[in-house]
Amino acid sequence: MIFKIEDVTVYFPYDNIYPEQYEYMVELKRTLDAKGHCLLEMPTGTGKTIALLSLITSYRLSRPDSPIKLVYCTRTVHEMEKTLAELKVLHDYQVLHLGTQAKILAIGLSSRKNLCVNTKVLAAENRDSVDAACRKRTASWVRALSTEKPNIELCDYFENYEKAAENALLPPGVYTLEDLRAFGNNRGWCPYFLARHMVQFANVIVYSYQYLLDPKVAGIISKELQKESVVVFDEAHNIDNVCIEALSVSVRRVTLEGANRNLNKMKHEIDRFKATDAGRLRAEYNRLVEGLALRGDLSGGDQWLANPALPHDILKEAVPGNIRRAEHFVHVLRRLLQYLGVRLDTENVEKESPVSFVSSLNSQAGIEQKTLKFCYDRLQSLMLTLEITDTDEFLPIQTVCDFATLVGTYARGFSIIIEPYDERMPHIPDPILQLSCHDASLAIKPVFDRFQSVVITSGTLSPIDLYPRLLSFTPVVSRSFKMSMTRDCICPMVLTRGSDQLPVSTKFDMRSDPGVVRNYGKLLVEMVSIVPDGVVCFFVSYSYMDGIIATWNETGILKEIVQQKLVFIETQDVVETTLALDNYRRACDCGRGAVFFSVARGKVAEGIDFDRHYGRVVVMYGVPFQYTLSKILLARLEYLRDTFQIKEGDFLTFDALRQAAQCVGRVIRSKADYGMMIFADKRYSRHDKRSKLPGWILSHLRDAHLNLSTDMAIHNAREFLRKMAQPYDKTGTMGRKTLLTQEDLEKMAETGVQDMAY
Amino acid sequence: MAGEQVENRGVKYKSSIKDPGTPGFLRINEVMLLFVPNDPKSDSKLKVQTKNIKSHKNTKEASNKPPWLHLTTYQGRNHIFEFENYPDMHTCRDFVAALDKNDEEPKKAAVSTSTEQLSIKELELRFKLLKENSELQRLHKQFVESKVLTEDEFWATRKKLLGKDSIRKSKQQLGLKSMMVSGIKPSTDGRTNRVTFNLTPEIIFQIFAEKPAVRQAFINYVPSKMTEKDFWTKYFRAEYLYSTKNTAVAAAEAAEDEELAVFLKPDEILARETRQKIRRVDPTLDMEADEGDDYSHLMDHGIQRDGTMDVVEPQNDQFKRSLLQDLNRHAAVVLEGRSIDVDSEDTRIVAEALTRVKQVSKADGETTKDANQERLERMSRVAGMEDLQAPQNFPLAPLSIKDPRDYFESQQGNIVNVPRGAKGLKRNVHEAYGLLKESIVEIRATGLSDPLIKPEVSFEVFSSLTRTISTAKNIIGKNPRESFLDRLPKSTKDEVLHHWTSIQELLRHFWSSYPITTPYLHTKVGKLKDAMSNTYSKLDAMKESVQSDLRHQVSLLVRPMQQALDAAFQHYEADLQRRTAKSSGGERPNGYV
Repeated sequence: MIFKIEDVTVYFPYDNIYPEQYEYMVELKRTLDAKGHCLLEMPTGTGKTIALLSLITSYRLSRPDSPIKLVYCTRTVHEMEKTLAELKVLHDYQVLHLGTQAKILAIGLSSRKNLCVNTKVLAAENRDSVDAACRKRTASWVRALSTEKPNIELCDYFENYEKAAENALLPPGVYTLEDLRAFGNNRGWCPYFLARHMVQFANVIVYSYQYLLDPKVAGIISKELQKESVVVFDEAHNIDNVCIEALSVSVRRVTLEGANRNLNKMKHEIDRFKATDAGRLRAEYNRLVEGLALRGDLSGGDQWLANPALPHDILKEAVPGNIRRAEHFVHVLRRLLQYLGVRLDTENVEKESPVSFVSSLNSQAGIEQKTLKFCYDRLQSLMLTLEITDTDEFLPIQTVCDFATLVGTYARGFSIIIEPYDERMPHIPDPILQLSCHDASLAIKPVFDRFQSVVITSGTLSPIDLYPRLLSFTPVVSRSFKMSMTRDCICPMVLTRGSDQLPVSTKFDMRSDPGVVRNYGKLLVEMVSIVPDGVVCFFVSYSYMDGIIATWNETGILKEIVQQKLVFIETQDVVETTLALDNYRRACDCGRGAVFFSVARGKVAEGIDFDRHYGRVVVMYGVPFQYTLSKILLARLEYLRDTFQIKEGDFLTFDALRQAAQCVGRVIRSKADYGMMIFADKRYSRHDKRSKLPGWILSHLRDAHLNLSTDMAIHNAREFLRKMAQPYDKTGTMGRKTLLTQEDLEKMAETGVQDMAY
Repeated sequence: MAGEQVENRGVKYKSSIKDPGTPGFLRINEVMLLFVPNDPKSDSKLKVQTKNIKSHKNTKEASNKPPWLHLTTYQGRNHIFEFENYPDMHTCRDFVAALDKNDEEPKKAAVSTSTEQLSIKELELRFKLLKENSELQRLHKQFVESKVLTEDEFWATRKKLLGKDSIRKSKQQLGLKSMMVSGIKPSTDGRTNRVTFNLTPEIIFQIFAEKPAVRQAFINYVPSKMTEKDFWTKYFRAEYLYSTKNTAVAAAEAAEDEELAVFLKPDEILARETRQKIRRVDPTLDMEADEGDDYSHLMDHGIQRDGTMDVVEPQNDQFKRSLLQDLNRHAAVVLEGRSIDVDSEDTRIVAEALTRVKQVSKADGETTKDANQERLERMSRVAGMEDLQAPQNFPLAPLSIKDPRDYFESQQGNIVNVPRGAKGLKRNVHEAYGLLKESIVEIRATGLSDPLIKPEVSFEVFSSLTRTISTAKNIIGKNPRESFLDRLPKSTKDEVLHHWTSIQELLRHFWSSYPITTPYLHTKVGKLKDAMSNTYSKLDAMKESVQSDLRHQVSLLVRPMQQALDAAFQHYEADLQRRTAKSSGGERPNGYV
């Protein structure tokens, strides 16, 4: 359908539209007009993504003189694929109605691992070795050398791409990763470098958060994006965590050992160069004296990860004199490693501010703050000079230098925590020195400063006033949308007791109680026997899930579950989990039905949808609180209290409930869909916990469903499922329109009345 | 095939090759070919019954002729259609070709059934049916072998079973049980430490399917290196070691015994398969790709110990295998289903067949791009929002229910009856016509399977049924899952059911013999009557023999059977009397014996 929002003609690829999608577009348009940032919470299952995409692309079409670029950030690669698939539908529709002028170039961007088409490079096991294998074939010195020695293996795809030079362009269209690979294979061009090159020409770029938030990656990929861009962070409820993770680094014993090995190797190389090609080292020294940290003419194949510090915090001056010489720098690093080794040898937990850490480093190892700051740049320069291509081997020293650079750059918002062992496993010594960032606003600040509009959106941003504080920005629009329901297609319930009336909870003192475990099991046994197709369960942690499944297996509960449905489980092995998910979907498709056991805060909870028959009921076992004794968490809480006046308890509850809401919110994708959400913990019945849930869930949580036992919940579930199976009028009844047609919108525009049903 | 059709706009119709052609719209379904010209005034509108199409020809793509489809009818008329492009023409041609084949089949079937010659094929089919259906076999034994019915008579009422449907219908694949094999518990004799495992072919199949390494080991070791019994003993020894979770002992034992180590080591074949499969996974689920994109968690970057993610004891120990992995693997195998059609007791044959199947599927995965295509299609289908657009039609697979009773008994809980026609309400006229035609053909071939009943009679039956059901309910309580039959002892239940089917069979033959027109029928009815009275007395005996508390219920069950038999006896007597009266009277009106 085609309609107008104020002066923008919106092309929307479906015949109908939800009223909240329309509202959402209106707010979004105002944000774009105001060239400001916004914060929009809209329930899952109301077509956020397509509303966003169609408004922004239509906005672009309506302003042909100043075209905006859309930078769409997703948390995961599979969400990226999904977004691009929706964009494809939209793009086809726009081209159909507007002809070729509506054509855009949209690309998804990912790492070499996901884009490479060279089978020899792909044979490498993990991401880092793929990167290294690629550099081995594409680094400028390797290619220069190959003209002399023809037996050096290069990558044909990269060579062809380089040969095509400026002509290597993607024709307009929407390219998923698979499409990019196919295109690259066809033309014989490297899809990875082609995609990176096309970033500056593309109208829409879809990539993951860190390509914008993590300075290491953003420094390479997103440097040249223009200001007239709209940046969208989708599913952004965890954005604060992504931000602090981007600036955190830690050092373990293995890191130090690896770094020492790296230094030995470097020393060896330096000696070799001294003997054979002393001029090269001298040239580097001279360059550093002139103040050029890095050669400016780095070709694509030479680039490696960028500086871990934020761009405006990086000093633009010459590298200090004491580390200009290669062997001096190696010495400094040795001293640093030694010092870190001593600090790791502690028996107590130590917490320190970066300032005092740096000063004690200065007094004990004689390394100044400024020297620390330049560690990253100096290392990069040295690695290029030594022509090191196997970057995966040199990760440990890289980590140490990243640590040094960050600790030298930031005095505020960070702390250093040294733990001799993991709190929960005191019998296994595993010392770790962590530099952890507490201030989420640091990493995201450059994004807010640089781009015209930043849109932060998700299904769960409650309480919505907390996010501007955490990220310290001022939104021009900040709104939370409700969901207009055609029928009550979600059914949240709070289960507080088992059938035997004993309370259930994952509270620390109760979680291993056999009664609780049994009651949790019985709940599932009953549910799988009455719910068709897919059932999803979320547990508070891996270890809890492990334990409870083992107990269920011993007591025969698992057997009863397996009799009704197949069981699939998320494990810590990503490959296995992916296959389990794939099989789970197939089991739901073929009608056999299945249960998926998963973990809140895990990879599955983060981005996999259990919509339609893939999830008719979600059981959230317990409240997914963070481990509150964690030193890092305590330090962060302290920082939040001191800086933002956010109470510890409030933040913990907020964090746990957003995770829980995120888990259960995955069941619903459209209003034709339906699903139950069971919060199985007595603590959910308390108002202070429950009220932190997003409004669209709360508004369906009836008072009668706040304190249920298993048998009552089963009874409700039966009723709900029976009701949902009936045919219904999709457009809404009793004057409440929940599905708008083109005429409805035109009528609304004429009368100017905005009385939509909520 | 009902309701299928092809449509094509932009077709030109030519009555001869020289004709410039009339542009219009072509639709072919299995009954009719219809051409409607775009210009309503043109008189070249065309309707041809597809069964009249004698042959079809078309131009080749390589030749530089336009894409023409040339149809010849039995009446000798020619129709030429010019299409816009070759693919369109090919779809139409393929459709017409498929119609041709369909037409031929019923003809052949009609020929073979009209002559009562029994081909070997048919005998085989009868034999197969008897083998598959134990109930039928029992009936066959009871009546044919005791000479109450002849072979032909027995099968005459079961033409439907012998019909083309059952030939074409492939054997339904049996699924696997959802139960975990690791759940099989050994039985002990209670005094010694000896344990005994009972292995059925099904369990062995599951073990082989879930653990390719065990399968490979079996092929390698048995019988050259050890006996099958030793093999399984070793296997369960290894399983026991797993279950103790004592990795040190497992490692020690594995070091000593290399065959045992095979079972304890991580499965390499499985790992290879996994790598294969991960490439074909739905990209919207691919979390591995995610990990490859995550530079924030580059070695030791990011936050390690803030308590969001918990740590589990390191899993790198190679003699440790988690229950979770087993569960995932098991479910995957069950989902895959029984991929081989070997019904052998011989373990080795099963193992080899499985290995072969795996190799084939691996080769498939490497060569075909179809899977990829399908993956993308699925993705684009999922990308749309279902209720914002017109509904999509998904392909349906027909249910294959072998024994309807199993199905309906499991449905007993659902008392609400769904009207049978509800599904068909939305069919369009063409489909409806197609269905009607089909059912007429079917009735012609097999006869009316259930005679039409007068509404009054059916109402009476219905109300009396309701009454019995409700009284039964009062007696046995409200549990809808448990029917009265389930409360009878198994032998009695079987007996009741068996009597019921045999009475049905007898009655069917009995009533179909009337009116008696030949001496053959006369003797048949006599035999049937004897058999029936035999059954009647058996029913009585059964009623006497059951326990007193169940007797009332059993008599309720038996009563309708006896009533039906009584009605038959009555009819028999009346007919006999009339016939004797008539034969003594010597009158023989036309057509009545």
